[in-house]
Amino acid sequence: MVSKKFLFKKTFFGGNMEYIIGIILLLTFFGLAWYCISGNNLMIGFLIITIIWTVLSFGGTLGASADFLAQNEALKFDGLKGVMAALNKIFQSAPEGWGTTLVNVCWGAWFGRVLMETGIASTLIRKTVELGGDKPMVTITLLNIVTAIIFTAMTGAGPVIAIGVIVLPILMSLGVPKAIAMFSFMGSVAAGIFINPVNFAQYRAFFITPEQMPEFTLGWYATKWGYVALIILLVTTTILSGIYLAKSKTSHAWAATTNRGAQQKNAPFYTLILPIVPVVLKIWLDFSVIGGFVIAGFAALFLCGKMKGSFKENCQLVNKLYYDGVVDTAPLVGFLLTLPMFNQVASYAAPYFKVILGEVFPKNELVLCIMFAVLLCMGLFRGPMTLVGCGAATLGVVMHIGDFSVPFLYALFAIPTITVNIGSCITQSWVAWGLAYTKVESKDFLKLSIPNAYFAGILQYVATFILLGSLGTTWLMSAVK
Amino acid sequence: MSDQPMDLRPLFDGIFGKQRTVLYKRPDFERRNLDDMLKELAKIPLLQWDRYVFSREPLDGRISASQRQVYMQKAWDCGVEWADKSKIKYGNLSAEKFANALGMEVEYVSMPENTDRVLFAEFREPNHIRVYMDAINRVEEFLNSDSIKDIIGDTNIADILLLHELFHSIEEKHKKEIYTRIEKIKLWSIGFFHYDSCLVALSEIAAMAFAYRYSGIKFSPYLIDVILVYGYSQNEASGLYEEMIELFNRRLEEI
Repeated sequence: MVSKKFLFKKTFFGGNMEYIIGIILLLTFFGLAWYCISGNNLMIGFLIITIIWTVLSFGGTLGASADFLAQNEALKFDGLKGVMAALNKIFQSAPEGWGTTLVNVCWGAWFGRVLMETGIASTLIRKTVELGGDKPMVTITLLNIVTAIIFTAMTGAGPVIAIGVIVLPILMSLGVPKAIAMFSFMGSVAAGIFINPVNFAQYRAFFITPEQMPEFTLGWYATKWGYVALIILLVTTTILSGIYLAKSKTSHAWAATTNRGAQQKNAPFYTLILPIVPVVLKIWLDFSVIGGFVIAGFAALFLCGKMKGSFKENCQLVNKLYYDGVVDTAPLVGFLLTLPMFNQVASYAAPYFKVILGEVFPKNELVLCIMFAVLLCMGLFRGPMTLVGCGAATLGVVMHIGDFSVPFLYALFAIPTITVNIGSCITQSWVAWGLAYTKVESKDFLKLSIPNAYFAGILQYVATFILLGSLGTTWLMSAVK
Repeated sequence: MSDQPMDLRPLFDGIFGKQRTVLYKRPDFERRNLDDMLKELAKIPLLQWDRYVFSREPLDGRISASQRQVYMQKAWDCGVEWADKSKIKYGNLSAEKFANALGMEVEYVSMPENTDRVLFAEFREPNHIRVYMDAINRVEEFLNSDSIKDIIGDTNIADILLLHELFHSIEEKHKKEIYTRIEKIKLWSIGFFHYDSCLVALSEIAAMAFAYRYSGIKFSPYLIDVILVYGYSQNEASGLYEEMIELFNRRLEEI
């Protein structure tokens, strides 16, 4: 009779190393989630996990069963040369490939700085307030719409803070309690980000390169799902602001707002259309995003009279704006350039995860939508649902375990990333700034933002299932070349 | 070999160093002493602070320079009138006793502020007032210096803040008749329909006038903005001072 001890040895050490590796990988995944939630450095965290997963995935092939290796082509390295090629893919080609996305991020940041420098963004806000007057709900609604429109083109902590120092004191001076003002502003910033071309390019790079699925453009994405997601978040944020406002008591504060530098003149009326030009050109004509930023950016600088100096002075201004814009995005760049390494190594780790989770992981879009909707709160605190946190690791697992369409997976992760993390979480850099600026306590902000994250998130998952749940086979991850 | 144990802290900090919040760099201003700034600001006449007050008004873009002066005068008069009415009705009570007489719950909290926007006090409907003491505590030493006393005397700043907020409570109780609530500006119209709005600045001016009149201080309450910001940052207070002077000069040019 075969002893239990023998069976254990046979299963775990007798050529079935994949189970052990799968379990260790799962433990490291939870370790990473803890690391991210604790607020530790994301770039270093992902670099370390990349190295650990590389060692485990590659080392695991030495003791894995022949069946397992036969089923997973990716793990057949064909000697030292093959191992080197795979390592080069992880540590060289993958981050290099993300360079194309980084260029978009830098130009987008420059455009954001142009809109601030020319006073177009602040004029838009002031003109909006002049329409709404002292009725808080009317002003909140109008400001939310305009803020969302502005952030379809601008992104980064710098622009959010620049607009925040205008919007927040206005709302508070109208008697809107500070927590509601914060909640309303941050929610509408996040709504705009749903169709922001820079963020789209950034998140799409988590899934595929632009060449791998050229049909998955911002225009396609926006008309199919992006607009709906934006509108849902904008509407829920505004409705909940109204409900919170109706329940709250008006407040008046004596506060000193310190000198923000020279007061800007209003930008000419006809320039107020410029913030949406790059997005419209991209969605309507599939015109280059960077081209759109350059056209609209220089048009703004010329039409607002910022290029009246000598050629040298004008060059210095453009250069300074570029510098400031790149500084705005700098804190994220290190993390985002480490992520592609992790995404690449995840494809080598995926077969081990499949061994452990393959049978239990949902293969149905509806079940996945329900599961993600229930777990939305795990997008908070850089948890395992947000792409700008530990969610990148979850994506690495989900992407390789099931065969879902790319747009569906994109939406699945965009909701916890944008609605929950960017719009509702105190770990988002500009939310943290807003808390300090308005003196709102974290718990008071979260009390307002978490219900909205669920309210909007669930509706967005319903839209995801209806609009993206049954795309054709050409959109599947397995169809990606 | 060294006997010193290897210090792994730098390595640990590098890996587990917390994510830092991205904050924008504040501009640098020429640092000034508080008494120098207050001496200059005290020269601005009471009713000529309108450009500064309206720079914080959301509808500032819709108001002309001449309209601003009219609003300043009327709102100031309104604050003074209600201070006098209050004294007649309740007697010459201290700020705290007056708050009690109005049924207010007053809380003195010590919460540190950041320097972008320093919150001094707030009134929350129907009867809750919070006075933030941290800002006051930080300038206590300056307030006791002779050079500052020459300008603001022995003023109890917390009382001024409280009186300012008490005006807002009075304003809420009399919103159908008080000037700051019945004065409106037309924002837009379509045919016969017109959309009007109150001006937030009027309430603030009247609240300042109320505190000024009731307390009997001899300086503009707007000086308190610079005093309390100074406790947190000399740079920010200097920046605020520069802005006040610049706005006052711009006002003179507009006239």
